[in-house]
Amino acid sequence: MARMKFLCDADRCIECNACATACKNEHEVPWGINRRRVVTINDGKPGERSVSMACMHCTDAPCASVCPVSCFYTTADAVVLHSKDLCIGCGYCFYACPFGAPQYPKTGNFGSRGKMDKCTYCSGGPEEDHSQAELDKYGRNRLAEGKLPLCAEMCSTKALLAGDGDIIASIYKERVAKRGYGSGAWGWKVAYKETIAI
Amino acid sequence: MTSMLSRLFQTAFFALALLILGAALPAAAQQPTSVNPTAQSVKEAQLLEALKPGEPISGRASIPNKDAANLIQAGRDWRAYNQETLPRLGMLALLGTFVALVLFYLIRGKIRIDAGSSSQKILRFAAFERFVHWLTATSFIMLAVTGANVTFGKSVLLPVVGPEAFSAWASFAKIIHNYVGFAFMAGVGFTFLIWVKDNIPDRTDIRWFLAGGGLLSKGKHPPAKRFNGGQKIVFWSVVLGGAMMSLSGWHLLFPTVEGMAEAQWHATIHGTIAFIMTALIIAHIYIGSVGMEGAIDAMASGEVDLNWAKEHHSIWVKEEQERKSGSRISGAAQPAE
Amino acid sequence: MLIKRREGQAARGSLVASLAATGAERLDRRSFLRRSGLAAGGLAAVGSLGLTSVREAKAAMPKPGKPVEIKKNICTHCSVGCTVTAEVQEGVWVGQEPSWDSPINRGTHCAKGASVRELVKGERRLKYPMKLVNGEWQRITWDVAFDEISKKMLDIREKSGPDAMWFLGSAKFSNEGAYLFRKFAAYWGTNNIDHQARICHSTTVAGVANTWGYGAQTNSYNDIRNAKTMIIMGGNPAEAHPVSLQHVLTGKETNRANMIVIDPRMTRTAAHATEYVRMRPGTDIPVIWGMLHHIFKNGWEDKTFIQQRVYGMDMVRKEVEKWTPAEVERVTGIPGAQLEKVAKQFATEKPSTLIWCMGATQKTVGTANVRAFCILLLATGNVGGFGNGANIFRGHCNVQGATDLGLDVTSLPLYYGIDAAAWAHWGRVWETDVSWLKARFDTTKAPDGKELSMMEVPGIPSTRWFDAVSMPKDQVAQRDNVKGLFIMGHGGNTVTRIPEMTKGLEKAEIVVVCDPHPTTFAHISNRKDGTYLLPMSTQFETNGSRTASNRSLQWGEKVVEPIFESANDYWVINKFAEKLGFADKMFKNITMVKGKFGMEPEPESILREINRGGWSTGYCGQSPERLKAHMKNQDKFDLVSLRAPKDAPTEIAGDYYGLPWPCWGTPEYRHPGTHQLYNTNLHVKDGGGTFRARFGVEYDEPQADKTTKKINLLAEGSYSKDSELKDGYPQFTYGMLKKLGWDKDLTEAEKATIEKIGGNTPDGVSWAIDLSGGIQRVALEHGCIPFGNAKARANAWNLPDPIPVHREPIYTPRTDLVAQYPTRPDFKQFRMPNIGFTVQKAAVDKGIAKEFPIILSSGRLVEYEGGGEETRSNPWLAELQQDMFVEINPADAADRGIKDGAWVWVFGPENSSKAKMKAMVTERVGKGVAWMPFHFGGWFQGEDQRAKYPKGADPYVLGESVNALTTYGYDPVTGMQETKCTLCQIRAA
Repeated sequence: MARMKFLCDADRCIECNACATACKNEHEVPWGINRRRVVTINDGKPGERSVSMACMHCTDAPCASVCPVSCFYTTADAVVLHSKDLCIGCGYCFYACPFGAPQYPKTGNFGSRGKMDKCTYCSGGPEEDHSQAELDKYGRNRLAEGKLPLCAEMCSTKALLAGDGDIIASIYKERVAKRGYGSGAWGWKVAYKETIAI
Repeated sequence: MTSMLSRLFQTAFFALALLILGAALPAAAQQPTSVNPTAQSVKEAQLLEALKPGEPISGRASIPNKDAANLIQAGRDWRAYNQETLPRLGMLALLGTFVALVLFYLIRGKIRIDAGSSSQKILRFAAFERFVHWLTATSFIMLAVTGANVTFGKSVLLPVVGPEAFSAWASFAKIIHNYVGFAFMAGVGFTFLIWVKDNIPDRTDIRWFLAGGGLLSKGKHPPAKRFNGGQKIVFWSVVLGGAMMSLSGWHLLFPTVEGMAEAQWHATIHGTIAFIMTALIIAHIYIGSVGMEGAIDAMASGEVDLNWAKEHHSIWVKEEQERKSGSRISGAAQPAE
Repeated sequence: MLIKRREGQAARGSLVASLAATGAERLDRRSFLRRSGLAAGGLAAVGSLGLTSVREAKAAMPKPGKPVEIKKNICTHCSVGCTVTAEVQEGVWVGQEPSWDSPINRGTHCAKGASVRELVKGERRLKYPMKLVNGEWQRITWDVAFDEISKKMLDIREKSGPDAMWFLGSAKFSNEGAYLFRKFAAYWGTNNIDHQARICHSTTVAGVANTWGYGAQTNSYNDIRNAKTMIIMGGNPAEAHPVSLQHVLTGKETNRANMIVIDPRMTRTAAHATEYVRMRPGTDIPVIWGMLHHIFKNGWEDKTFIQQRVYGMDMVRKEVEKWTPAEVERVTGIPGAQLEKVAKQFATEKPSTLIWCMGATQKTVGTANVRAFCILLLATGNVGGFGNGANIFRGHCNVQGATDLGLDVTSLPLYYGIDAAAWAHWGRVWETDVSWLKARFDTTKAPDGKELSMMEVPGIPSTRWFDAVSMPKDQVAQRDNVKGLFIMGHGGNTVTRIPEMTKGLEKAEIVVVCDPHPTTFAHISNRKDGTYLLPMSTQFETNGSRTASNRSLQWGEKVVEPIFESANDYWVINKFAEKLGFADKMFKNITMVKGKFGMEPEPESILREINRGGWSTGYCGQSPERLKAHMKNQDKFDLVSLRAPKDAPTEIAGDYYGLPWPCWGTPEYRHPGTHQLYNTNLHVKDGGGTFRARFGVEYDEPQADKTTKKINLLAEGSYSKDSELKDGYPQFTYGMLKKLGWDKDLTEAEKATIEKIGGNTPDGVSWAIDLSGGIQRVALEHGCIPFGNAKARANAWNLPDPIPVHREPIYTPRTDLVAQYPTRPDFKQFRMPNIGFTVQKAAVDKGIAKEFPIILSSGRLVEYEGGGEETRSNPWLAELQQDMFVEINPADAADRGIKDGAWVWVFGPENSSKAKMKAMVTERVGKGVAWMPFHFGGWFQGEDQRAKYPKGADPYVLGESVNALTTYGYDPVTGMQETKCTLCQIRAA
């Protein structure tokens, strides 16, 4: 089976936010919940780089480890998902996530969290594929249709890559070899404990 | 003289050089003759290397959420503490206290009133004081149980009851924890207000500690005021620990206004202090109930046996009796011991 | 703890179902790689990797169990022309899928394109016709709207003449809508009709067309993949045209090309450059002349190209000599060494392309800037080939088409102009008597005292309409002031001098705003009555073609019916024509079909009418059938050449994608369209061409001794591939065909048509007015281009500055340079005075630059577009940019005690203008420069005007408009406004 990953080629990313709105569009994500976002490092200085970031679906995911109710699970495609039925909205995954991925609707007591929401790698949740319940809770399930996450599919400059880790790593390597520069596979070291040798 | 002249000369020379350079500088500083943003791009490897512990790699994100601008941060360290250190610490604190108390009980047994029960009672805690105590106590216990569930529930309870039932309980426990937290905060606040005047540490406490609180051997009772040294420790632990629990808990209740690093810090404080306090409170419960004859009355009816009071709070009893007889005004002329 | 998804499902008792799903077929390898973002060329590199991962695609199922229809349309935002693939279920647009087959966007989108579905969910759309009554918005019916508005229009016409109505069209119309609205104005009897191109690329069109023939992007986004050097100057495509960066960055990477960005801001585009050059705003001509100085000095120019294909380069040399590196650095701030490096790369590492946008065009010297850019391309031989050219990125989804189709105060559709010959041509196409049309117009006295029809007098441009409302009547050269505004699909906050615009708005008798959203026009003034809001559909709710920046036409298919009570442009224009009494004539040859509210014009038949008249620009070959075939077969077109191979389905074989104009001859002639304009490397039947012979055969050039000298304007020794004429030649006419003996190739029917058009002088009938297409066909068959083969003009003698000269902005911080480089003297333009010189002089005399020391510039954000009412009403976009802001350099901020994110007041030098917004402290802008996005509206001078919107139609995000601060200044050729360099002061709020 594949080991699904994201890779943002920051030398291609232009902070156009297509990934962010594609995600909103595909899953009808409400205002205030940002499953994906773009961060610009060294903003306004020559050589600034933007990186599109969401849940990286880590190897040995910290969120899953700290969850007090074990609502996370890893799919056969190595996608880290969670069950909103089990989630109690405690926020621990947010404290543990290196990428700020978990999001909480402000519906709980004292304006605090509801059930956690995050990037599903466009692959729904524990409910049956393409069921109404899955759609309502997690959004659309593209992976089960043989499609990849829409953020990556719609990326304006093909900076954001999704797919099997080995394949996207080789695409990135090939690009770097061709053009002669690369600012790195952002987040890979932290998420997957590996880097792409260039 | 010559040296002074030469120094003056040197200074003038440098000033002139600076002036010339300075005149040339603005144009050069304004625009270098080549700027290659591709070659100058930031690289992740360099940023990770330069990263200080606890600091994120951050930039600018257009959404207002301040946290969104943090790209990569060290979540794994906190995870290690939360998943490994804290449970161990918790187990150690809870089991350690339990074992110590069992041992203590086996060796020392229940602490009796040496003089036996008298027929006389003395009012030790007024109704409001008892209310505050029990408010704090019940809320603490509820918080401790629901809180411990966060750390131990999934390894202890979940395998037994299954994920759905456990989540339902955990969800309920979270709500309890969030609401009862406010009762606890109130309890801690009142505790401080009503008892702080009797809990200022003084020399009596040193003597009390030197005598081991009279707990280690029968028939020996170091003098104590209204609260002895041990009780003062409990008081300050509850007040200071409770304040820290409240403060960190408050932040955890409203996570959306906090950064992740702060949230981690608050969660760490909250969990660590919780276990230390729980351990302490277990000891407090022991000594206040099965560990000591007559102690429970203080918080039950509020009236304690006079002999018990004389043995454990001799100075306080004296003061109380003097105050009652009206010969002295309590606290007005206390000897500076 | 659950480890696998399967276990998770097992725990919930659905193990059997989940196992059953894994048996499905796997996704094929090609789609997987494509979805992984791999370029086609890179397949081999990953050949050895296993691809056994993703489960098979079933139909996309937004709502389980219901069928899904796929519709293809084009994104309605910028000009790149991205295909949008819509999933429609039970008449509702439920999802967007990547449009993998489009050679333009290849599945991708920017923030706006990826969120267009929201437009037809439309929670903040204008839902039904409304009318302002005593300051309150009232719901009315369409019938009431048509009755009341047309009655008022006829009333104004009666009292003040047809020119008292002023029409503003839209770059978001389809081609058919744009054409129809232009025709509408013609039948109403005025040239007062304009659209966004005025404030976008009007100066480009004027500058480029005056240089080599047509005023459009010469190459394409895709063709940039062939470039070895690119200069992006005055443009930030990473935010304005994000999908274009896919081509730009791929070109940069695969060719290891030089990507040079010259801009006052270190933009998101500049972040990816190989060289970033920071210049002072408003000094484009000195920058270009500075580059040419190095090029001429070092002999890097393309001498053969200049000799064969350029007229007047020697005059440029003379002007350029003045621009020594020292003088260039003094004026622009760019060090000589940096500019020399850039000039060398551009001239010697070819092909080189120059990309520009509003930074070049929105200037008092806009046309001259563009001319200088063209001259740089000509001097280095970088026009008319693969990977080079003037890659002008246009702004809106159909600003190219709307420009082509004549939403312009100086032209009828397709650049025929407004002279008698132009009216005669369109009169023939429309089968309407020109004398009837003439009677619809007012008359005026020409300078020679003769009576002149207003039909030949350029109208009032969109930058000056409020002056035409407010100025004393005797200063507006028409019968009366403008009294009524009829605006379709155009924001109100996109034009400078908003405080004065607001006054004009208050003085107008009627304001009609036809738009999917209530624009700034609806709320900014204190009007109490007489404003109408008509809810229009977007292009996703109707059919029609649109022309992308690269001149490709794409047919958009209706995705859903217009939502709420909104209606499409065709129906509304038709209804007004009906009410105003000229529908029978105007729609004589246009088929009516059943629509949402009754019979409406069919866009296909409108396009056929355009084809019948669009010879001058090659809009004659793109029939609706051909365009639809292209949309159906998108995947057959090559990514770089945009061409379909010979073995593609016959309906598209050999075509360039979207039949980029000029697409010569009739649709049946099957010309493939033109990917690169003026490309002599190709046969004209393969899209080749030469520079257009638009300015005659010879020119009487004035000499120093006051005599004139005849100069040959035709190309010398240069011609397109396999041309039978091996030298320059004039444009083709019937007479010329006769001289060449090629008239015998015409069919009898073609001859008959030509002779009918020509009347007594059939020899004068040209390729552009021959309705048979015969002259074009015969020329092409002989390998010649119908419009002739001439030299491009470095010297455009008919323009105010035939050779561009530097002129300081009206409001410049460098008052020391004004005496040497003043703006042009005051003069009359578009029926009104242009007093730029007086304003500049007053600003210098009053010491405005001391009081307002910071240069103010403006531009785009990726999340928003234009005036922003539409995009700020889209929650998916609005969430990403919630506050109006000003970028300010850290040094300037420190001087003023301004912190990042804090509120500031910005003050402008005219009308005591002020605006409140947040500060973004950043090195992106240089010291002394501030920058603002131009998409905000709904606040005015610190006041939130949300309450003035119709309920439920207010955008999520409101903010101050930059144009509340921008100032006077107009290009002498097109009336383009100055938005990129004025002055301001900033204080902490």
